[in-house]
Amino acid sequence: MKKYTLKRVLTSFFTLLVILLVLFVLMQLMPGSPFNDEKLNDDQRAALYVKYGLDQPVVVQFVNYAKNMLKGDLGVSYNISKNTPISQMIQTRLPISIGIGGLAVTIGAIVGLLLGLLAALKHNTIWDSLATIISVIGVSVPSYVFALGLSYSLGFRLQWFPMLYKANNAGMSSVLPSIALSMFTMASIARFTRSEMLEVLGSDYMLLAESKGISGSALIFRHALRNALIPIITVLAPLIVDLMTGSLVVEKIFAIPGVGSLLVNAIQSNDYNVVIALSFIYSAMYIVIMLVVDILYGVIDPRIRLAKKGD
Amino acid sequence: MKKSKAVISLLTASAMTVGLMSTGTVAFAAVEESTSDLNVMLETPVQSLDPQQATDGTSFEVIADYTDGLMQMDSDGQAVPAIAESYDLSDDGLTYTFHLRDAQWSNGDPVTASDFVFGWQRAVDPDVASEYAYMLSDIGQVENAAEIIAGEKDKSELGVTAVDDKTLEVKLNVPVSYFLSLMYFPTFYPVNEAFFETCADTYGTSPDTTLSNGAFVLDTYEPAATEIHLTKNADYYDADNISLPGLNYQVIQDSQQALMSYQTGDLDLTLVNGEQVDQVEDDPEFMTIGAGYLWYVSPNIAAVPELANLNIRMAMTMAIDRESITTDVLKDGSLPTYTAVPMQFAAGPDGSDFSEDQSKFSDVCAYDTEKAADYWAKGLEELGETEIELDMIVDADDAPQKVAQVLKEQWETALPGLTVNLTVEPKKQRVEDLQNGNYEVALTRWGPDYADPMTYLGMWITDNSNNYGLWSSEEYDSIIAECTTGDLCTDAEGRWARMYDAEKLVMDDAVIFPLYTQANAEMLSSAVTGVDFHPCALNRVYKNAVKSE
Repeated sequence: MKKYTLKRVLTSFFTLLVILLVLFVLMQLMPGSPFNDEKLNDDQRAALYVKYGLDQPVVVQFVNYAKNMLKGDLGVSYNISKNTPISQMIQTRLPISIGIGGLAVTIGAIVGLLLGLLAALKHNTIWDSLATIISVIGVSVPSYVFALGLSYSLGFRLQWFPMLYKANNAGMSSVLPSIALSMFTMASIARFTRSEMLEVLGSDYMLLAESKGISGSALIFRHALRNALIPIITVLAPLIVDLMTGSLVVEKIFAIPGVGSLLVNAIQSNDYNVVIALSFIYSAMYIVIMLVVDILYGVIDPRIRLAKKGD
Repeated sequence: MKKSKAVISLLTASAMTVGLMSTGTVAFAAVEESTSDLNVMLETPVQSLDPQQATDGTSFEVIADYTDGLMQMDSDGQAVPAIAESYDLSDDGLTYTFHLRDAQWSNGDPVTASDFVFGWQRAVDPDVASEYAYMLSDIGQVENAAEIIAGEKDKSELGVTAVDDKTLEVKLNVPVSYFLSLMYFPTFYPVNEAFFETCADTYGTSPDTTLSNGAFVLDTYEPAATEIHLTKNADYYDADNISLPGLNYQVIQDSQQALMSYQTGDLDLTLVNGEQVDQVEDDPEFMTIGAGYLWYVSPNIAAVPELANLNIRMAMTMAIDRESITTDVLKDGSLPTYTAVPMQFAAGPDGSDFSEDQSKFSDVCAYDTEKAADYWAKGLEELGETEIELDMIVDADDAPQKVAQVLKEQWETALPGLTVNLTVEPKKQRVEDLQNGNYEVALTRWGPDYADPMTYLGMWITDNSNNYGLWSSEEYDSIIAECTTGDLCTDAEGRWARMYDAEKLVMDDAVIFPLYTQANAEMLSSAVTGVDFHPCALNRVYKNAVKSE
C-alpha cells in the first residue's frame, strides 16, 4: 500500500508538470494578447510586454514561471485586477467556492443517498417512481435554471434568503447557490444508489446474510449499502472537484466572488497568469481527489485492500 | 409607438474661461444628511485602484469617489476647483500655476504639490507603462511627456514642478484649450509618495494600501471584489456638503438579478438591459443616460478592393436604418448618429453641442435605400462585379451581436448581390484583428477620453493605431495638426470651425459608417437626488447625492 501510494504521488507530480507545460503552450496559441485595448498603441504594448517579461522566448518564460511557482509566486494579473498577485486573489476566492461547493456536495450526497435508498427499498412503488422523477429532473435541468427559480421564489418573492452573496452574511447567502448546485449531484447519486442497491439486494451474499438472521438496518447499512458505495464514490469524486472549483453560471447569478467567475473573466481578457494558475489548481485538486478516492476504495472494500497487499 | 424618453443631456464644456473661475469655495450651509448608504450596481468589477494604471470607467468612478484631483466635474461636466483652490494661466497659454488648498490624506499627511508631481511622473514612467500615458503627452501636451514615454528623457524632466508645498507649475508644449477638463481625469490624480513606497507592489489592492483625499474613504475592497464599501470622509475639506454616510457597490453580472434586487430595495441605482426596458419603461424611476460612446462600422479601405470603392461605401452607409437599430433592437435610449463625432459630450466656445445638428451630412449619411441602390449599382459597375461577399467581425457581447445581425439584414435587403458573413470574436481578439488590419468590415466603438471633438477626430490621421481602415488624407492630417499643435491652438472659434471641416472629410469619404451614440438605461430610486452622470472621464459622481427616506 505504501509503495502504491508513493508511486501514485510521484506520477501525480509529473502529471502536474506536464499540465503546466501544456497550459503554457496553450496560452501562446490563444488568439489576442492581454494588452489588446483600443487605447494602446504599438509602443505602449511593447513596453508592457517588456515589463511583464512576455517578450522573452517561451522556454525562458516557462522556466521562470516554474521557478517562481515553486516559491509560491503565481505572478500578477495583467488586466482583470491589474498587478495584483494572483495568490492573493485566489486566497480570498477559493475558500468561498470550496465552501459553497462543499455544502452542495454534502447536501447532494446525503439527499441523493436517502432518495436512492428509498427508491431501492420501496422498489416498484409510488416512492420509487417519485424518486425517479425527481432524479430525472435533477439530472436534466441545468443548475442555473434552479438558481434562477430559487432566487425568484425564495429570494425575491418570499425574501427568506438573500438573492446576492453578502460577505457579512455568508451562511444565509450560501444556501440558495448550494441548493441549486446540489441538484445534479443529488440526482446522479440517487440514480446510482438506486441501481447499485437493487443489484446488491438481489445478490447471493445478501440472501446468505439474510438467512444468517441479520436483519433491519444492519443488513441494509453494513452489508448492502457498503457494497453499493464503491461505484457511488467513483461518480462523486469528479462531481466534488466540479463543484468546489466554482460554477461559473451560478456564481454569476448570485454574484459570488468565487474562482469560477474569475477563470472565465480571465480567459475572456487573456489574463494568462490567472488562467494558468487556476487551471493548474483545478488539475491539482482533481489529481488529489482521485488519489484520495483510490485510497478510500481500499478502506471501504477489503477486497481491493487485500489485493494491493498482495502486490 | 414612438418612445420619447427624456435623455438627460449632459453637455460638457471643454474650453474654460479663466475669468469665470472662482477663487476659494463659498461656504454653503451643510446639506441635508442622507439616512443611509447609497447602493449602486456595477456591471463589471474594478480592474485597478491605482489611478495611473486604471483604464476602465468602473475603476475611474470608484477611484474618484475617494480621490480628488486639481479639478473636479460639476453637474454639467465643467471643470471646477477641487484640490486646486485657484490657478493662473500665463499669457502665452503655456504655463498653468495651480494654488493648492489645505487638504489632507486619510493618514493625516497634507496633500502637497509634490504628490501631483509624483503621480504625473508615474503616468509617463516607461517602467510603469501606464496605458493612459498619452493623456499627458498627445492630449495634455505636458512638456517632455512624449520624450519620457519614448525613453529619451528622464521622468524628472517632466514639465511639472512643485514650486512649494502649495504651488504646482505645469508647462505645456502648446496651449491646450481643454487642459483643465483633463485635471479631473484619474491619470492626473496625486499619489502620496511616502505612502506609496510603504505599500511597495501592493498599492491600491486593499483599503490598507489606498489613501483618500476625497469625499469618501474606501473601507471594504478586495481585488476583483463583488462588494465595495466607502464611508464618508470626515476630514474631507468639503465634508459639510457631502450628504451620503457611505457608498455601497455591488457587482452584479446577471441583469435579471440586478433588476430584482432593485425592486426589493437592495439597490438604489442599477443598469437595465434592452430586453428589460419593456418591463420598466413606464416606471417613473426609469431613465436613459447618454454614455458618449460612438458605435460605428469600420470598412477596411486599404485591404479590401471592393471597399476602396467610394460608391460601395456610400451605398453601405446609406442602406443602414439607424433609427430601427436604436428603437427596435437596442431600446435603451441610444441615439441614431449620422456624424463622425457623437452627440452630447463636447460643447463649443458658444456652448453648443458639436454634433447637435445630425442632418449636416445628410447628403452622404442618411437612410435612403433608393440612393443606396444607385450607389451600389454604380460601384458594382466600376468594379465589374455582380456580387460581393464581406466578412464582418463583431464583439461577443449581446447587444453588438444583435446590431450586427440587423445590419446584415438591412444591407442584404437593400443591396442586391451583397452577402455579409458575421464572425463573432472576444473583444481582445477583435481589437488585435482591427489594429493589424486583419478584417474586412468591423462593428466597433470608441468612448471619449476628454470633452473635445479631437478625442474622435484624432483617430483618423494617417498611421494612428485606431485608424483601422488605413484611410489617409493629407488635407485631413494638416487640419488636425493645425488644431492640436498649430496656429489654431489659441483660437477657439477658428479651431472649432476647422474641426467641422475635418469631420466633413471623414464623412464625405465614408471612412466610417456611424451608427449610434450609446445610452444606458437605468433605474434610479426616487428617494435619491443629485447623482451626476457624465459621458466621459467620470461616468457617475456622488458628491452631491442625497438619499432621503
